[in-house]
Amino acid sequence: MRVSVHFYSYFKELTGCAETAETLPEGSTINDLLKLLIARFPKLGAMQNSTLIAVGVEYQGRSYVLKEGEEVSLFPPVQGG
Amino acid sequence: MKRQLTINTDPIDEAALVPQRVMSSGMGAAVYFTGVVRGMEESEEIQGIEYEAFQKMVDHQFNLLFDEMEKRWPLESVRLVHRLGWVKVNEPSLWVEIIAPHRGEAFAACRWLIDEMKRVVPIWKKPVSEEGNTPIKEA
Repeated sequence: MRVSVHFYSYFKELTGCAETAETLPEGSTINDLLKLLIARFPKLGAMQNSTLIAVGVEYQGRSYVLKEGEEVSLFPPVQGG
Repeated sequence: MKRQLTINTDPIDEAALVPQRVMSSGMGAAVYFTGVVRGMEESEEIQGIEYEAFQKMVDHQFNLLFDEMEKRWPLESVRLVHRLGWVKVNEPSLWVEIIAPHRGEAFAACRWLIDEMKRVVPIWKKPVSEEGNTPIKEA
């Protein structure tokens, strides 16, 4: 199963890219994806407690089971206004 | 409840927005809020703020907030403008208008919307200092 991953705000600087993709086994969760991403981009590790995660345009928790082709977005706490 | 959402890089023209108000005879309160970029950010003098958004999710999350406002208060309309990109100190980055029958509902809804926006709507700001530094902010 392949999912695309998008980074926003200073997460782009921490990872050096705006988007990437990961291949995971069927049934993998967001938590599984996070582990892979932190292994690839260790600077994300320090931010993991405050990282917000969306699938499509909805927030999702770490136990969300990913599906083929989904777009996952990772970003720091929002700061509009 | 009528809703009007504008998210773009255009300067916010308050003088043009206010006369566009549409208010029926049953409404008695129009509350406006303007958020302006401050010259100081965490004790550091800045020139302005660069705003970034996850646009598709911004639209969706604002509409979820408007849905909730509709359930909580008998509002006639909400108009919200958020500027993206570079916004200089003293320029507005946010403008909100709430039309309601009474001031209590209008003030409460306006405050709630802005508080919730700062919690769930994916917009980020990067303050730029006099020296042009844009430090990474650890949350």
